[in-house]
Amino acid sequence: MIVYTVISKGAFIRPRNIRNILQSTTVVSLLTIGAGSLMIAGYLDLSLGGIGTMCAMLAAFLLRAGVPWYAALAAALILGGAGGAFNAVLVNELNFQPFIATLATASITQGFTSIISQGKQIDIANPVFNFIGSERVLDFIPYSLIISLFALLIYGVILKNTKFGRSVYLIGNNAQAARLAGLRPKRISYTLFINAGCLAALAGILLAARLKSSNTVGITNSQFAGMTAAILGGISLGGGTGGMGGALAGILILNCFNNGMTVIDVPPYWQVVASGILLLIALTADFLSARKRAAN
Amino acid sequence: MFIKKLLRSSNAALLFITIAVTLLFYIFNNNYLNFDNVRNILNSMSFVGVLSVGMTLLLIGGEVDLAAGAEACFSGVVVALLINAGVPWGLAFFLTVLFGALCGLINAFFINKLGFMSFIATLGMMSVYQGLVTVITQSKNIQIPEQGFWVIGSISLWNVVPLAFIIMLVLMIAYSVVLSNTNFGRSVYMCGGNRHAARLCGINPKKISTILYVNNGVLAAIAGVVLTSRMHTASPAAGSSGAIDAITAAVLGGVSFLGGAGGMSGCFIGILLLNVFNAGLTAVGFPSYWQIVARGGLLVLALCLDFIGARSRRLALERE
Amino acid sequence: MEYFLEFKGIRKSFPGVQALRDISFRAEGGRVLALLGENGAGKSTLLKILAGDLSADEGEVVLGGAPLSFSSPYDAIKAGVSVIYQERQLIPAMSVMENIFAGALPRNSFGFIDKPRLKKDTQAIIEKFGLPIDPAAPAGRLSVAYQQMVEIMKAYRRGSSVIAFDEPTASLAEAEISILFKLIAELKREGKIVVYVSHRLAEIFQITDDIVVFKDGALVKTFVTDETSEPELIRAMIGRDIGDTYANLSRNTEYGETLLEVRNLVAKQVKNVSFSLRKGEIIGFAGLVGAGRTEVVRALFGADPMISGEILLEGKRVEFKSPAEAITAGLALCPEDRKEQGLVLYHSIRDNVSIPVLSKIRRFFFLDRKAESALAGGIVDKYSIKTPGIDKIVVELSGGNQQKVILGRWTSDQMTTKILILDEPTKGIDVGTKAEVYQMMCDLAKQGFGVIFISSELPEVIGVSDTIYVMRGGRVTGCVHRGDATEESILSLAMSDTVKTERGDAK
Repeated sequence: MIVYTVISKGAFIRPRNIRNILQSTTVVSLLTIGAGSLMIAGYLDLSLGGIGTMCAMLAAFLLRAGVPWYAALAAALILGGAGGAFNAVLVNELNFQPFIATLATASITQGFTSIISQGKQIDIANPVFNFIGSERVLDFIPYSLIISLFALLIYGVILKNTKFGRSVYLIGNNAQAARLAGLRPKRISYTLFINAGCLAALAGILLAARLKSSNTVGITNSQFAGMTAAILGGISLGGGTGGMGGALAGILILNCFNNGMTVIDVPPYWQVVASGILLLIALTADFLSARKRAAN
Repeated sequence: MFIKKLLRSSNAALLFITIAVTLLFYIFNNNYLNFDNVRNILNSMSFVGVLSVGMTLLLIGGEVDLAAGAEACFSGVVVALLINAGVPWGLAFFLTVLFGALCGLINAFFINKLGFMSFIATLGMMSVYQGLVTVITQSKNIQIPEQGFWVIGSISLWNVVPLAFIIMLVLMIAYSVVLSNTNFGRSVYMCGGNRHAARLCGINPKKISTILYVNNGVLAAIAGVVLTSRMHTASPAAGSSGAIDAITAAVLGGVSFLGGAGGMSGCFIGILLLNVFNAGLTAVGFPSYWQIVARGGLLVLALCLDFIGARSRRLALERE
Repeated sequence: MEYFLEFKGIRKSFPGVQALRDISFRAEGGRVLALLGENGAGKSTLLKILAGDLSADEGEVVLGGAPLSFSSPYDAIKAGVSVIYQERQLIPAMSVMENIFAGALPRNSFGFIDKPRLKKDTQAIIEKFGLPIDPAAPAGRLSVAYQQMVEIMKAYRRGSSVIAFDEPTASLAEAEISILFKLIAELKREGKIVVYVSHRLAEIFQITDDIVVFKDGALVKTFVTDETSEPELIRAMIGRDIGDTYANLSRNTEYGETLLEVRNLVAKQVKNVSFSLRKGEIIGFAGLVGAGRTEVVRALFGADPMISGEILLEGKRVEFKSPAEAITAGLALCPEDRKEQGLVLYHSIRDNVSIPVLSKIRRFFFLDRKAESALAGGIVDKYSIKTPGIDKIVVELSGGNQQKVILGRWTSDQMTTKILILDEPTKGIDVGTKAEVYQMMCDLAKQGFGVIFISSELPEVIGVSDTIYVMRGGRVTGCVHRGDATEESILSLAMSDTVKTERGDAK
């Protein structure tokens, strides 16, 4: 952080930039919640980017067709949930490995995105959407950020303090023992996949609302950011560890890192490379800490 | 004998489906089987075909490389840069193949040295490669004026069977021999079928896995070069769905996603079916967007068949 | 050639358990040596050291005069030691011949696999042992017995001088066992050192030459098979003190009304099983490994699907689609594999005991941590679990204390458990704690629980249960009351009816 501040001659810590960092956190944090809670339970979803983009496109399409904003929002969220349910069916009923099942779903959702949009971007003129996307409290804190922080807080509490949350951890550690002790891993798995799908839809919509248009790339690239943030925040790919507090830290690290690169004028293309490398670094750290745990 | 064996195998059913699908599309559109279209099908088939050879080996060995498409795309860019920098195209081809091997080695390092799950490591590398390609090309196509290089992608036998297809076929036959007739090939099956047992037989699964990834990188490079040669351009968007297509084709052809089972002939028929299907959708006038959906759907279908196959094998065992 | 295998002063300990204490003995080539002992006596630990899976803390293994030192199982194989485990190490998709020659496939001058030679060599081995196996058939298509034969041929092909068998007959039918014995006789004739681990005394008298008896990690005595008798071996295996353990149990003698009645239960590996359980009663399920006992209780508990049959709980017909439903109805299962199925190892005692009652210890939506701690504290006190606190991770507890955590989970005040199912509850627990577990079971019966007790150790099933159901091949072959039960009567039921229940001999 300090390095960025020095290189950018202070631009990095100006309020305007901090606001930018906070604003760009929204999408990633929603994806991190969805992906992270799945990872704690030992699952994985590579289709969140695809689902979110598809849902944002549907919302934009419906708005353009004159559907009221709440109906468009509801339809998009339902579609997100349906995408998650589809993953859950593939994983639970057909026993696919989560990564391949969700990879297939990702490909299908990309197709639907293109079909809905005919490959073009759809502008969003709805005032409510634009308000959510770009208005700020006290002219500083974006509403969308409030939504995402609120979500992190709520999910953090759910994971740590409710039966459902406890079940997620227990299943991530030992699904078989948890089932024989009376939990229902299948039901939890469905809930988590559907929940992640809905959150992805919300993330996609918030981004589209901010950009005032929905395009076919959408939040596809943020999906890895979501996973990376979760892993950086201590949620192990092996399942059973980590939490939302760590995830928040992971998100902030990730976003400062990315935003810092923008501020010191690293071309945006390089940021794609960097985020891939960051994922690998996060994995290495995860691997090292897992090895340390095993050694103890 | 050979025919009898073929008919008994599950590949036969798949082959019949392929023929049926072909005929169906032919009925809808009589131009479907004309020379140009057949050549197009064979051409587009050869790119995924070469990728799926490497992928088939990996899957049999219980591994997977989601970066295969990105590696091919990157290789295309590398060969274009080299040729445009004045390197003779033969040498450029060779250097690109070495580059592919390096990509494979990086995957193998993460998986075998650091112990990452194969899909997550290759997924990370995929995003790294995609990013690098975007950086290098600034998202623009790189034209290759060097006409000598175009030869690989453009010549064809009797004006119907392109060289690229022949390369794919030769590779498939060669690897089929390797798989069934060499110690290495059998070791791949052992690693995928029962890693622990393989180790007890003195096989080093990490070594096998490393070889498979390097091999896959080389094949991806070849696929990328051939595609670039046919297009006369390296495109940053080329082959983005390569890995998924290759996995789909292999699994359709009976290569088990769980490792240890399947072979090259199945992979070939899988490729054929996939491409006949895709080209057919175009021929009967389906919008190209639907093909993306169809591709994902086909992967789910292939996995379902794999799942059902594995279950019926298990049930058959239990009955005995 | 005159081989011999010698163990010299082998010691091995695991956290909290001395698994092997100063083991020394010698196995001669051309003879079959049996390792005999109860579960947990140390046989399998010794076998693992021989196979290179574990290394001894002290002592050495000597083969043909040279000390062996293994850093991996492959080293053991290279040194000429092959262990045939119960789980097969074959590649199902590969042919029999490829499996037998795996890792050493013959090559022709082009470097390709020499298939004709491979087939010929395999044929030669198969004929030597006189087996009707097609060398080109995929190994996965063979019956379990023939897969085992393929493993033995694989060991033979490697030229192993020591071939060890771990409970090889556990999943074989009578006719298949006789084929196995022919193979072992052939190995013996070749001068191999054969090590044979089994519980079945009859078999041991049939094929072994020497017997080494283990108890609690120590070598009790070495016998020559021809010069000993079954009672003598049993005395050596069990010792006298165990008998007293059962005599000293304070039992429940008053049974209440019928709690559970199972009629004609059919499930995977379970064929038409019926039994009933009364309040305050302990019923035992005896039988060999693979007889279908675990499958019966899993189907009953809703963990595996039930194909047909009726379950009556306190007279009402019930059917459980998931363990959660069974638990709500008052059933509880302590599974056989504590670490894999019973506990969430890396969570605390508190987290583990509260799993089934998470819905009850809530305030609004949130978990009530105070209530949870009180629950866990109560269980730790009641069962005197040895732990510094309720937040200790269960993986760090000893086997006996882990078992108590599971028992505590099901019998807390918050639970409405009526029927406790204990599947091999004393596996991997030292003798002192075993007695404690038995008394705990009797106490639970006194409190009015119905207890279903599965065990592969005959003395404890007979010693603890009020009624004993004996299973064989998925069926109940007999029901005996404690007073009438002897090891012989149970064992004969567990191994009876082979001709009737198994269809024909191996194809």
